[in-house]
Amino acid sequence: MALPPSLRTSVTPPELELVASEQLVEIIPLVSMERTAFISGAYGPLRPPTKCKMPLWMASNLKLKKKCHIVPPTWLNVEFLQDRLTQETTLPSFSEMPFRFAEIAKILLDVAPDDLQNPEKLRTLLKDIREARQAKSREGLSKLDPNELILQNLCAMEINEIRPFFVRGMAVLTQLTREPPPVEPMDET
Amino acid sequence: MSFDWDDDFNAPIAGPSFVDRARNAPEDDDFPIADDFGGGRAGILAQDVAEDTPFQQLIRHWLNERHAPDILPGQELLLGRLLDHIRKQSNDVELLRADPDSSEEEHFRIMLVQTEIERVKFVIRSYIRTRLHKIEKYARHIATTPEIHERLSKAELDHAKRYAKTVEYHFTQSVLQSLPPEQRKLDEDVAFMPPMIPAPDKLRPVFAHALVDCPPMRLPDGSATEMQKGQISLTPYHVVEHLLLRGEVALV
Repeated sequence: MALPPSLRTSVTPPELELVASEQLVEIIPLVSMERTAFISGAYGPLRPPTKCKMPLWMASNLKLKKKCHIVPPTWLNVEFLQDRLTQETTLPSFSEMPFRFAEIAKILLDVAPDDLQNPEKLRTLLKDIREARQAKSREGLSKLDPNELILQNLCAMEINEIRPFFVRGMAVLTQLTREPPPVEPMDET
Repeated sequence: MSFDWDDDFNAPIAGPSFVDRARNAPEDDDFPIADDFGGGRAGILAQDVAEDTPFQQLIRHWLNERHAPDILPGQELLLGRLLDHIRKQSNDVELLRADPDSSEEEHFRIMLVQTEIERVKFVIRSYIRTRLHKIEKYARHIATTPEIHERLSKAELDHAKRYAKTVEYHFTQSVLQSLPPEQRKLDEDVAFMPPMIPAPDKLRPVFAHALVDCPPMRLPDGSATEMQKGQISLTPYHVVEHLLLRGEVALV
């Protein structure tokens, strides 16, 4: 019953999606519901058309049953992403994105494309941003050293993607540099 | 975060609903039940609460455990609280299901509550299985290292010791007893060979995400550095271990 081997090295994208689904989103309910107590807090009451906040998993559940519209987060629109893409392609650093943007964007594009304006364009933009950032993380590999590598503004999914290779690379570097310390003091004296 | 909704317990009961029946259930401090018809206030509160609920804490501990090479202190209290909560929610669901004249809306809420129970159960299971994997992998190291014992629950420690003993017994019975006595040892320290008792590799790099501004930490090359809130670093586990145990960083 121990953890299966396939899950031992890293968490999987579906697990990251589960974690991201705990984040709150705003919805416009189409049905009314009393306030209900859940393990993560009490949500509701739903009174159409008053907006209400609830976890993403609950919102997508309601959405799949056509019982609500999801209000997309402020960063999931063409202007914002276009702006980020420009930053991504012109500046050397990673631009600031919500930590779990990839997971949330995927869920919303899958579940509620009709609540987003121009979902096809959003898809393309997200893909372009992803590719621009991927190129940067690959470049970051050359900065790998056995002490520390600071990854400013990297997001959960991107970290998960580079994890196996970066962890292995750094472990090898650590092994290579582990031997010298006993020798160095002798050289200096 | 405290759930300060006790006042709402005395609100007039509108009719048979999930909330009302949950209200009549036995007292449970960490179970926020409120029937708030004020609208606006609820949204703001819910957002604040969602930041660090017991479930959010468990998710953090679960991800830490998944990424850390070493076994981390067990979260028995937190698990107990969540398990109690699951039991309570399941009981309420059972009660409501038994009721023949519940409305369609009621069924829908039952479905949502059950979905959440399954989500929480999944994380709890995965958390325990991750620990079980580490316990079995490092059973003999754990059995011989008293410092680790306090990080395990009683059941986990018993299992580790029993597992280590069983493995040793099996090795002896199947192979070692037919070898010459000098080759029978299971804890030899041979130069240039991996140790016979596997121990967690604290040199393994991890991705650490600073939750607060962290005090200085010492890197393997001897230099000191500080992590600012929100910073993400790839660094060997032993560098951030003490910060992780204090909850100042989370592994991602």
